[in-house]
Amino acid sequence: MHSGHVLMLSMYWKDVGTLRTAIFAGVWLLAVLVWPAAAKTASDTMLSRGDGSRTPAVHKIPLYTDVLTADKREKITVESDPALPFSMRGTCSECHILEHSYDVISKGWHFNATDANVPAGRPGQPWIYVDAATGTQIPLSYRAWPGTFKPDQVGMSPFKFTEHFGRHMPGGGPGEVDTKVFEEIQRQAVAGKLEINCLSCHDKDPAHDQAEWAAQIERQNFRWAAAASGGFAFVTGSAGKMDDSFDFTMPDTVTDAELIPQVPKVTYRPTAFDQKGNVFFNITNVVPAERCYFCHSDINVTTCGTRQWQADQDVHMTSGMTCVDCHREGLEHNTIRGYEGEQNSNVLAARTTCRGCHLGNGGAPPEGGRLGAPVPRHKGIPAVHFEKLTCTACHAGPWPVQETARCKTSQAHALGTHNVNKAPEVLPHIFYPVFAKQSPAATSGDGSPASRPKIGPHKLIWPAYWGTLTEDKVQPVDLATVAKDVGAALKDAKVPRTGDWAPLKSEQIAQALKALGESVKGKAVYIAGGVLYELDDQGKLAGRKGHPAAAPYMWPIGHNVRPAAQSLGVDQCDVCHSKQAPFFFGKVSADSPVQDGGVAGMRMADLYKADGPVNVRVNLFFRWLIIIVMTLLILHILGDLYRRGLVWLGGKFGSARQAGDGSKGKP
Amino acid sequence: MSETNPTKAKEGELFKRFSVQFRVQHVLLFLSTLTLIVTGVPLWCMARPGHAWSHSVVSFFGDVETFRQIHRAGAAVLILVSLYHLYYTMFTKEGRREFIALLPREKDVIDVTVNSLYFLGLSRKRPEFGRYTYYEKFDYWAVYWGCVIMIGTGVALWFPEITAKYVPWLTYSLSAEVHGDEAILATLALLIWHFYNVHFNPSRFPGTWLWWHGDMSGKEMMRDHPLEYYKRVLAGIRSKRQESDTAV
Repeated sequence: MHSGHVLMLSMYWKDVGTLRTAIFAGVWLLAVLVWPAAAKTASDTMLSRGDGSRTPAVHKIPLYTDVLTADKREKITVESDPALPFSMRGTCSECHILEHSYDVISKGWHFNATDANVPAGRPGQPWIYVDAATGTQIPLSYRAWPGTFKPDQVGMSPFKFTEHFGRHMPGGGPGEVDTKVFEEIQRQAVAGKLEINCLSCHDKDPAHDQAEWAAQIERQNFRWAAAASGGFAFVTGSAGKMDDSFDFTMPDTVTDAELIPQVPKVTYRPTAFDQKGNVFFNITNVVPAERCYFCHSDINVTTCGTRQWQADQDVHMTSGMTCVDCHREGLEHNTIRGYEGEQNSNVLAARTTCRGCHLGNGGAPPEGGRLGAPVPRHKGIPAVHFEKLTCTACHAGPWPVQETARCKTSQAHALGTHNVNKAPEVLPHIFYPVFAKQSPAATSGDGSPASRPKIGPHKLIWPAYWGTLTEDKVQPVDLATVAKDVGAALKDAKVPRTGDWAPLKSEQIAQALKALGESVKGKAVYIAGGVLYELDDQGKLAGRKGHPAAAPYMWPIGHNVRPAAQSLGVDQCDVCHSKQAPFFFGKVSADSPVQDGGVAGMRMADLYKADGPVNVRVNLFFRWLIIIVMTLLILHILGDLYRRGLVWLGGKFGSARQAGDGSKGKP
Repeated sequence: MSETNPTKAKEGELFKRFSVQFRVQHVLLFLSTLTLIVTGVPLWCMARPGHAWSHSVVSFFGDVETFRQIHRAGAAVLILVSLYHLYYTMFTKEGRREFIALLPREKDVIDVTVNSLYFLGLSRKRPEFGRYTYYEKFDYWAVYWGCVIMIGTGVALWFPEITAKYVPWLTYSLSAEVHGDEAILATLALLIWHFYNVHFNPSRFPGTWLWWHGDMSGKEMMRDHPLEYYKRVLAGIRSKRQESDTAV
């Protein structure tokens, strides 16, 4: 072969090799890109979407612990001794295994608060830490809602947070975060993690007791709480009473006679197990409203006290709907929150809002009128209202009155739990309805006029907390320091049995600030009722109103929805467009434990910069105009009558002839 | 040749004070204004505490929407008559003459002063008025100002979307405030001041039909508008002289 041919051939093979390599790489890349999508499609078909049957799957299933024996979870039977608490992850994952269902669910809205990568969305109800003895009422949230503080900022670890607020959580989230606090590592091993409790929402069993869940969390029985809430198990004892060496798989190792009755123990109802050792879970994917209510109830304590039967229900509920008709979610548990600017992977999110169901977007097939939603005509209401107001402004929450009412909520006041303080005065003090501009996070943010924040009804709290002031910015002091230093300084303050504020005087605040100032960096300050208290250079207490750190925290009201006939402005524009209208001029209540420090009073209009004050000036102008003009005119009439009277008398008695009228004058 | 004494009004003497044009405008004005007051007051009172009666009134005649429609019908008539009046004062000889006669003058200030002194007993004589007294001019200009304000704010309330688009500073609540306040002033001025001058005034009680036939007796004119009377009588003498001179 000619050397030139060899060279060409070698070049040819070289090119072919390159080509083959390129083809191989391309196929490999395509496979990498396509495989997850294909896998997802397969899993969607098999798992998320179900098989299409509307009949709920009957859950007769075995119970499993989270204890692994030879890489297998330990099954619980009627003979198990000791009986261990069943694990939701262990039990449910036996079947819901595709795509690691439990892990997928744990990224859903109710469980993902601690995930910093999840967009916070529209500000919602915070967790409110309350300590009446130190005048503390501080909004906390793992979500980045402006005005709330991260629990870490007040020295509250996820474990402590769960211990305090887990009562009204469905598990997961902070309940499953590995504690980083050294002293808590063993404690967490004793108490267990607070797994997602599927039964909190999906249990249709009338014997389900979420209050028992709350009671178990109070006893640090995180691991046992789900079993206790179900209708087929009974839990006694308290992990909180056990020492750090307690092993829940070996409860008999506790030898202290005093502690033995406190050993956490679960007893399953023997009849709960069938012949195969399976237990019937009365599970539904249409979550009953009663399950939601445990964490999502509220009550107007100004008008109803704590008597729920005096409060009207949401019109959707009375028309036969349930919470999940609007707040939908799939396996991924991305609950639709239901506001217009919501960023949610759920394709129904944009359509499952007030507007989505009641108005639609004019597309085909029509969305307005879904589920029988009446399509409002809003006849006679100028369109400017729909640009400026949320639907809820007129249709949700209590009817506004001259001064905001107070309400209690499940999450803030532990409603529905055992031995809860039922006094209307109990902290925290939440005021509503407060008409204020929405947070920009509640809008689509695309800059269009329709996306501008609107005015809507809100609930409001005035934060009260101890902090440090650095460069005019306030950071809260951790709760342990507050309890120690401020608690000691305020030891004489008496907390009423109602759970209301312990009344404090300026001298006491000054004393506490002095004590706190010695143990914190920066200037110690106290915030309450919209006022920032600090010690001036002479050591005297000074209050500043209007500091941003003292601003109230608000979250929108979405319920209870009132029907059209009970909406604001029905037949009467003056409900809002008048000088007495609470919508503009209603007083936003403020309160504070500081008896002689005052509060930042404001009106609704102050919260959305309405033109109320302009109207007041206009009214004042016209008032004086009317008074002056009518006084002059009436004086003129009286003068005329007086002179005519004199003329008449003159004519009658022959005198005062010259006081006559103009007809006697010269031309 | 016997001449009329201009200082004495003759029995049965009649002068045409207001033309048909003027009277029709006045009738439409007072009918629309009374409609607006009758329907406007309950609408204004409805949402105010202590005015439960307004709800009864509204429900007796139908519903709030019916009241609103009647109010707007009245407003439409007022707008039309106002626009016609503008045309009348700008494009008709009579209208221009009346408008000029109604313009405030230095004499009006003197008349107010003299009349006030007269009321206080500091002057023995009332001022002598021309075609329009100062208080009639006040009536006219009060209505003028009132129409501008009421129609402006009323239209803003009637068409808030258009108003928000083109006159954004005139907000709905501002319009409602001004509309209501000005309505109170206009209603009080009408019922107290204007009604006194044309109905309850002892020399006119229980009222005059001048608005209907437009005629004023010589006596009445001599009493209330003597300068106008002299002017008319002298003009009559002059024209008679001219007629006789021409005949000669």
